[in-house]
Amino acid sequence: MIQRMGQRFRLSHRDLGGFYLATAVLAFAVLVQATVLTRLRLAGNAADLMLVLVVCWSLIRGQTEGILWAFAGGLGLDLAAGLPLGTSSLALMVTCPLTVLGKNSVFPGSLTLPVLLVLLATPAYGWVVLLTKTVLGLPVDWLASTLYVIGPEAVLNMALTFLVYPLLRWLARTLQPGQMAW
Amino acid sequence: MRGMRAIPRQGSRSALASLTMRHVSSRTLLFFGLAAICVVLLILSSSNRLEPIEGVAMQIGRPFLLTFSGIGRQITNVVNTARDLATLRARNNQLQAVVDTLTIDNLRLKETEAENERLRSLLRFAQLNPNYDFRGGQVIARVISKNPSNYLASITIDLGSEHGLSMGMPVVTERGLVGRIHKVGPMSSTVLLITDPSSGVPALIQRNRLVGVVTGRAGAAPVMEYIPQDAEVTVGDLVITSGLGGEFPKNLVIGQVVEVRQRDYEIFQQAVVRPTVNFDRLEFVLVITNFRPLPGPPDESESVG
Repeated sequence: MIQRMGQRFRLSHRDLGGFYLATAVLAFAVLVQATVLTRLRLAGNAADLMLVLVVCWSLIRGQTEGILWAFAGGLGLDLAAGLPLGTSSLALMVTCPLTVLGKNSVFPGSLTLPVLLVLLATPAYGWVVLLTKTVLGLPVDWLASTLYVIGPEAVLNMALTFLVYPLLRWLARTLQPGQMAW
Repeated sequence: MRGMRAIPRQGSRSALASLTMRHVSSRTLLFFGLAAICVVLLILSSSNRLEPIEGVAMQIGRPFLLTFSGIGRQITNVVNTARDLATLRARNNQLQAVVDTLTIDNLRLKETEAENERLRSLLRFAQLNPNYDFRGGQVIARVISKNPSNYLASITIDLGSEHGLSMGMPVVTERGLVGRIHKVGPMSSTVLLITDPSSGVPALIQRNRLVGVVTGRAGAAPVMEYIPQDAEVTVGDLVITSGLGGEFPKNLVIGQVVEVRQRDYEIFQQAVVRPTVNFDRLEFVLVITNFRPLPGPPDESESVG
């Protein structure tokens, strides 16, 4: 069984290249989110670069890579933010299955779908974070958080998608042209 | 496509179906495997058992955060400068060229001057409150990251346990209370701001010494709760720390009452408080290191925001 699992997840040189790329992109995203994006705020909220990255990468390269990005990026985000480790990873991973909506799209490469997916993913991500905090016994105001945090964040995330998605698509096409999922 | 080539021609449809099933199952396996790891990490992290690992990671990330924080400051300066220029252009076209040149030339000078002014203000505050020991690169801590997550109101400062900081220490500026140390790494710490919903600060109205608790709210100004219905609270009243509970020193300014909410059917009235500290513009803070907070209930130390 373990041998079979090992065969499934065996890494090639190309995968290793992808691993290094992912590490660099995710580390950069955590730093940008923690220091630069927090200065550009709408109604007290900043855009969530990591969420946009995970959704777009899931759409471009498939859910499996998206889940791995969500896990690693979430850990980085939790370390930078001071949240309990695993909170953001779990919430980001939940957004990856949403990209199944893009599988049968007739307009590959169009910006409409990623923007729509980010719009859907933002509340999903936010509610999982709030749920985790509730489970940990912390006070959470669901209505206020949804209206005053998730709402403005969704708008900012959608705006950020217009910048991030073409960049990631270019990156994926340049590095591994044969493996574009969408 | 490589996988397709390996499939025998006979029964290729069933082979394809099995391949798809295997692909789906490995992805599902990965999802649930990583989700299980997340849950384990959450449990361990909430009980502070991952503190050493988190400390090492924060130590590694600190120089990068410092560098990017500097870049962020520059971007803010550029954005602010651009805003100023737009206003000036509308008001006085003739001076536009001069303003452009002067703004660029004086950018660094202004930054230094502003920083100098902030440091002077902090020093004045330390002189007016000599009974506290302020530390941060000896006196002041630099903010290296602000609110990386919208779901936790926190900042990261460039001092940690190696500089004498420990959990629960109050953090202030010359304008008032900022929050308290919530996580400590060797070289950096996370400060839970008073605006976070999980933050509760025992407070009192300075004018009539009425006590209550100032609690943060998601996306809104903090609220002073547990004020008796018959008590008189008016807009403009100054709210300071009461020192009750032993978590914060007494008489630190929190903010000013901007709205009073009194409903007949409720036991207590509420006062919306506008903090005197501008949390969006925090660059330096003071950590009161000689104040030892009393130990709170067990879940208090695990509070995350």
